[in-house]
Amino acid sequence: MPVIEIKSQEQFTELTQDDSSKLIALYFYTEWAPPCKTMTSVFQTIAESKKDDPSILFLSINADDLSEISEIFEVNAVPYFILIRNATILKELSGADPKEFVSALNQFSNTPEQQAQAPAPAPAPAIQKKEVEEVEESEDELNQRLKKLTTAAPIMLFMKGSPSSPQCGFSRQLVAILREHQIRFGFFDILKDDSVRQGLKKFSDWPTFPQLYINGEFQGGLDIIKESIEEDEKFFEHALEAGA
Amino acid sequence: MSALTVDTFKQIIQERLQAELVTVEDMSGGCGQAFAVIIVSPLFQGKNKLMRHRLVNNALKEEIAGIHAFTQKGFTPDEWAAQGGKV
Repeated sequence: MPVIEIKSQEQFTELTQDDSSKLIALYFYTEWAPPCKTMTSVFQTIAESKKDDPSILFLSINADDLSEISEIFEVNAVPYFILIRNATILKELSGADPKEFVSALNQFSNTPEQQAQAPAPAPAPAIQKKEVEEVEESEDELNQRLKKLTTAAPIMLFMKGSPSSPQCGFSRQLVAILREHQIRFGFFDILKDDSVRQGLKKFSDWPTFPQLYINGEFQGGLDIIKESIEEDEKFFEHALEAGA
Repeated sequence: MSALTVDTFKQIIQERLQAELVTVEDMSGGCGQAFAVIIVSPLFQGKNKLMRHRLVNNALKEEIAGIHAFTQKGFTPDEWAAQGGKV
């Protein structure tokens, strides 16, 4: 099935209630977040490759225009993926990792790829394509990656866990502050990637997480952001303007 | 490393950061794992928040690495006086 771009909440409700046995892949994106550009085409490509599989429904949702839907699912960062079947959330993924999405999709879809060619002897477990990942990254490459990550969105939060389930009180507090000020931000879960976790400490010259970047500039950890907000209620807006 | 106590930590900060005033609060209920500190030091003069925090982080590298949570606020003596000697 090709990707269906959701235009209204009614359309969304209709499509998602249409057939409960279907696997529904929701993709939340925004126009302004660079990682979404990549993931939008990844999402389309994947949908295209599964177009003969009527059991999967690919819906893409502009998280800004359809904030009601984003709120229902507590989506506060993009790109964000949710897999649903029978009105049950099977999996939520945030961040721009195509491999993770594909492997989740295979895990939950009824028809693993091999089955298309020949009847599989037994339900095949999800294939995890991990081989490619283990290539050693040089310090330069890591730094380039960090540079990209820190500029992936105008405001980037490097945290433990995700905004919907922070794994540390400090990360949680910083998410709360950003939300309270209705700040859009991208985030990276450093617990998922140890080279980023270690590398960013050096890159930012900062020993702890969370770390906040605005326009690619390191701003500090929770204490500094708290103080900055106390001094200037419009700290985020001003910091964004300063680098624009 | 043995667990840090409020008093030893306070002393370390005082020495390494030439602090005129240090308050250390153990937020972990006495187990020496989480501290909130306020530091008043002339070393902060002319430094923005980020630089102040880095200064403290570097001076207390080993101590911070050994604990779970560390919260800091840094003032120059003038700033401290200007706000009446309390946060």
